[in-house]
Amino acid sequence: MLQKNFKKALRGVIASSLALISGSAFAIDLNMPVGVTPMSHDVYDLHMYVFWVCVGIGIVVFGLMLISIIWHRKAAGYQPAQFHENTAIEVIWTIIPFIILIALAIPASKVLVDMTNTSDPDMSIKIEGYQWKWQYDYLQNGFSYFSTLATDSNAASQLDSGINPISVPHYLRDVDHPMVVPTGKKIRLLITANDVIHSWWVEDFAVKVDAIPGFVNQAWIKVDKPGTYRGSCSQLCGRGHAFMPIVVVAESWSDYQKWVAAMQTSHGAFINPATLQPEQNGSPVVYAPAELNFNAPTPAPTQATATATPAAAPSPTPGSAAAEVKPAGKPVVAGKSWTMAVAMVRGKQVFDANCAACHMADGKGNPAMAVPAIAAGPIPNGPLAAHISLVLHGKGIMPAWGNILDDADLAAVITYERNSFGNHQGDLVQPAQIKAAR
Amino acid sequence: MHNTAVAHAHHAEHPNGIWRWITTTNHKDIGTLYLCFSLLMFFVGGAFAMLIRAELFKPGMQLMDPLFFNEMATLHGLVMIFGAIMPAFVGLANWMIPMMVGAPDMALPRMNNWSFWILPFAFILLLSTLFMPGGAPASGWTMYAPLMLQTGTAFPFTIFAIHLMGISSVMGAINIIATILNLRAPGMTLMKMPLFVWCWLITAYLLIAVMPVLAGAVTMELMDKYFGTSFFNAAGGGDPLLFQHVFWFFGHPEVYIMVLPAFGIISEIIPTFSRKPLFGYTSMVYAVASIAFLSFIVWAHHMFTVGMPLAADLFFMFTTMLIAVPTGVKVFNWVATMWRGALSFETPMLFAIAFVFLFTIGGFSGVMLALVPADWQYHDTYFVVAHFHYVLVTGSAFAIMGAVYYWLPKWTGHMYNETLAKWHFWLSVISINVLYFPMHFLGLAGMNRRLPDYPVQFTDLNQVVSIGGFVFGVSQLLFVACIILCVRGGKKAEAKVWEGALGLEWTLPSPPPYHSFTEPPAANLIWAHPYQND
Repeated sequence: MLQKNFKKALRGVIASSLALISGSAFAIDLNMPVGVTPMSHDVYDLHMYVFWVCVGIGIVVFGLMLISIIWHRKAAGYQPAQFHENTAIEVIWTIIPFIILIALAIPASKVLVDMTNTSDPDMSIKIEGYQWKWQYDYLQNGFSYFSTLATDSNAASQLDSGINPISVPHYLRDVDHPMVVPTGKKIRLLITANDVIHSWWVEDFAVKVDAIPGFVNQAWIKVDKPGTYRGSCSQLCGRGHAFMPIVVVAESWSDYQKWVAAMQTSHGAFINPATLQPEQNGSPVVYAPAELNFNAPTPAPTQATATATPAAAPSPTPGSAAAEVKPAGKPVVAGKSWTMAVAMVRGKQVFDANCAACHMADGKGNPAMAVPAIAAGPIPNGPLAAHISLVLHGKGIMPAWGNILDDADLAAVITYERNSFGNHQGDLVQPAQIKAAR
Repeated sequence: MHNTAVAHAHHAEHPNGIWRWITTTNHKDIGTLYLCFSLLMFFVGGAFAMLIRAELFKPGMQLMDPLFFNEMATLHGLVMIFGAIMPAFVGLANWMIPMMVGAPDMALPRMNNWSFWILPFAFILLLSTLFMPGGAPASGWTMYAPLMLQTGTAFPFTIFAIHLMGISSVMGAINIIATILNLRAPGMTLMKMPLFVWCWLITAYLLIAVMPVLAGAVTMELMDKYFGTSFFNAAGGGDPLLFQHVFWFFGHPEVYIMVLPAFGIISEIIPTFSRKPLFGYTSMVYAVASIAFLSFIVWAHHMFTVGMPLAADLFFMFTTMLIAVPTGVKVFNWVATMWRGALSFETPMLFAIAFVFLFTIGGFSGVMLALVPADWQYHDTYFVVAHFHYVLVTGSAFAIMGAVYYWLPKWTGHMYNETLAKWHFWLSVISINVLYFPMHFLGLAGMNRRLPDYPVQFTDLNQVVSIGGFVFGVSQLLFVACIILCVRGGKKAEAKVWEGALGLEWTLPSPPPYHSFTEPPAANLIWAHPYQND
């Protein structure tokens, strides 16, 4: 009877562990993904190889221990042997691990040599880590943009947000502006950081490279098939470490070229790689309204259709600045100005995307980090010049935003800070003032 | 002889109450202080871990700000390493080394008092940062620059706390070396020392070699923040990676500082309960020595993703893999000691067997992590968290618990409650695997370490992990209950508590006299030592 029950229990244990191994019991695959680059395949094979070697050694060592535990028991009346040395066996079990290790080291070294060979790339993309976002710089194409956590994830991840993360698609694995790469090309990644050390990791590519201020690290990828691949920052980088994911969209060479062409003529607006239209929602960090864009020689041809493409907009942010300003026929290069309403809308978006991580969405600051409040704070309610200077040049853990945001964004966010959260300074800062203060 | 007796009588007039503990220079009192302190810190660090696991029970932020989560992760690491594991080993060394080598006390008793009493102040300094503006340090226990430089008011306090812990460790290490090298009983040559003593001798040298390196690393951070230097500031011509190299030059030997004494403990417990001499004593000593040597030339395997040159990656991969050889020798020797012994399974032996199984699992994931291309996928994920908790908790902490049960009857003169202790063991060993094993899967699936919040697909496994964590945490109350009950009373323990026990400490009555060996032990007692037969 007892034995029968034991067998039944054993069957149950085996069945449930099989279910566990097959992954059906859990939402994730329990093993490393095979990935989509030649390198990730090699790494997966190496991982499985060393795993099975360890399993083999484990069976031998644990098996011998179990035999001792089961048979060589005092309770079973076993008389202890008294041997305590055997030179031959000790030499053997020193040499065998050596041989096993050499058998592991050879394939590992081969893969490593391959992984570090970043020569002869088809193209290069520079990746820069910031607290807490990524910047992708397409060196040969002359444009760059920031990639921050998607707004719906950001909202749900606030303390006691009341939003169930399960209701958010790709919670903490979605960004406003993904990195876009072509398939089938060898792409060299040049990875660095602006403030502290970050680490750029996309598991499907088997690339994890630290982004270190003052260093430019290299890696390469060659993506097999089109798709969306998700990763994250893997080195503790402060409060927002969990909130700076990576999304890479891989598409065919021809689609990629169309996207690059659209990016080059978008005046800083991010072009959605799927629709080839400027993005309407998400963080507008790097775009200025067309008429305020200092670099724009001509307005975007797609600007007029922008409002008609809310296809991928689950929760449109209140009319972005770009949408409120009519696409002007001609760029206004000098003496351009904007109204308080436009600056405030834009300022709120810039603030939420960049400043709220430390100063908090309600502007109350974060005493735990010694981050001062915007609400009733001395700087936003003090002299304007000092406020602009602090934002431009930073202080302590406050970054020098002058290197990160453009004049329009800075003007908007300073205007917003001086006229929100109970502050009523009434200042309307124009981009020209920022330009002058730089 | 006469003089010793007088001195003994004089020493016996130690003050009572709190002053006894503050002024004590006795190795047993100081050992007790170390062990009690470490138990307290085990619960403080454990409380931080409970908060971490509670926040990670569900995706989204429910309990704390992400920054406070980082503070918890940092303090959990610092408290467990410097407050729980290291002082516990020093406490065991204080209690056992004089008794094992046949000495009356430690060689430098006054310094012994100092090296303990620095510790409470170091940890008051460290934990007080929780109440400072800007909060506790939040850059992980590794304190990487430049992130560490963003710490608020807590910054200098953390660094001075580290300095104090380092001074305490170095003083303890000097004392242990002086005791072992000078106070061994006549006839006890180095190669006749118990393995626990050997392991501690080598560990003490590691401590002296690397604690000043840590002090240097954190002092350079202090200079960068307050004195305008640019050691780690790229904009000033410095190098953020320099910190990592210096830190891990300390950090890797530190890993072995936390595990070599555990090797020594296991090498004492397994022969006792196998009723069979330790297999391969000589190779055990050489294995420990070679592990200690290798630990100095593998540090950069903690930094495979920082973009080192290919040659450096290969060098550190090969040296790291090499460590598997002496570690393997140790595991094989333990298995061979058990082989054809007459095993019995009292609680110390259960912890020792669990150690060999689970430490070996941590060793396997260590070999996997050594392979640089695979490390690029494992690095900084929960796979690493699983790896080092298998070697540090089911390794070091289990060895300490086994040691406490092994020697508690000797210390108190009472047997502990075997039923309660077995409950403690089984609850711990089951819950700890529920806690740490799924972390391997989480890491492979892509979950980074030090995350206050995670994507929803990791939810169910995180809940399993958290439940394991809570059960493990609560089970440790049984450990405290066992100790308190045993100190208060229980079956009288004989001098030789365990049937198969060998070594000088078992020739003293339980509890042993205040000054362990006022006269050198008789030569025939040392001759009884199993290694002597060689």
